[in-house]
Amino acid sequence: MTENGLETYGDLATGVREILISTNEIQQRVYEIGQAISQDYTGLNPLLVGVLKGVLFFMADLLRAVRIPTEMDFIAVSSYSPESRDQGLVRMVKDLEIPISGRHVLFVEDVIDTGLTLNYILRNLRVRQPASLEVCVLFNKPEHRLVNIPLKYKGFDLPDRFVVGYGLDYREKYRNLPFVGLLKPNVFQSGPNNSV
Amino acid sequence: MKPLYNPPETDKSKFAHPVEEAFARILDFYGLQWQYEPRTFPLQWDESGNVTEAFTPDFYLPEQDLYIELTTLRPQLSTMKNRKMRRMQELYPDIHLKLFKRREMRDLMVKFGLYDQAEKIQGTEAQEAIA
Repeated sequence: MTENGLETYGDLATGVREILISTNEIQQRVYEIGQAISQDYTGLNPLLVGVLKGVLFFMADLLRAVRIPTEMDFIAVSSYSPESRDQGLVRMVKDLEIPISGRHVLFVEDVIDTGLTLNYILRNLRVRQPASLEVCVLFNKPEHRLVNIPLKYKGFDLPDRFVVGYGLDYREKYRNLPFVGLLKPNVFQSGPNNSV
Repeated sequence: MKPLYNPPETDKSKFAHPVEEAFARILDFYGLQWQYEPRTFPLQWDESGNVTEAFTPDFYLPEQDLYIELTTLRPQLSTMKNRKMRRMQELYPDIHLKLFKRREMRDLMVKFGLYDQAEKIQGTEAQEAIA
């Protein structure tokens, strides 16, 4: 059994075929990004903003790697689903509590895939006239990108596969895996209960 | 919150495949402008200059200047589409075109909670040409 072997996680990792990015690799990269942010934003008191829920893990680790004073806030947006699509456009279901006008805002995201959600959020935040608005993403999936979004900080480019862990879910499961793993194909064929 | 873009009602009758309609609905939801099959690109001509082969990408995103082609073809059945995509790149290198293959379409459907659509893609055995 290896340190990050799937066996270690028991039922939590059922359905995971292999580990793509280990816990140690993630922690090391998060530390490096934290150091870069600390250097770039010295004296600027940046506001780190994340969108719930997947970013929780990255945000918590990143903040502890940043060595300058910062503030954080969260927003939540409605997700696309068969139910929500009939309600029209995406909408913000939890807004920021801290005003961002004139602030240096760093938007922190766990993963960018199509860029559709982030594009909506960034357009919304720009209207509030922050002093600066940059993006920090841990996992980048460029293959599916529909909207070009400049990234100031990037952790890893992910392969064009459906992955889970470290905030990334499949049907709300697997978020709390400390690594990023690839799902077994039969997980997608197992029906609405996601039994594998 | 005031919407930044008011999408038109998605007219399902215009789409050749249910996955295309699902894709259009997703774009609408996130306020991204799109056009359906707005342009056909000639790929081959006969000796008289008549177009003998052409390619019409499924979507165009004007704000991104990006064409999108969707397919649910199994890889072994997508030879012709792949050849057309390569020909597109040769003849129109300045055109930005992105292909969403079968597995990518499945992942996209999963990402947006369209599990029924995803399972249909996953379970499809026969050829399902979109374009």
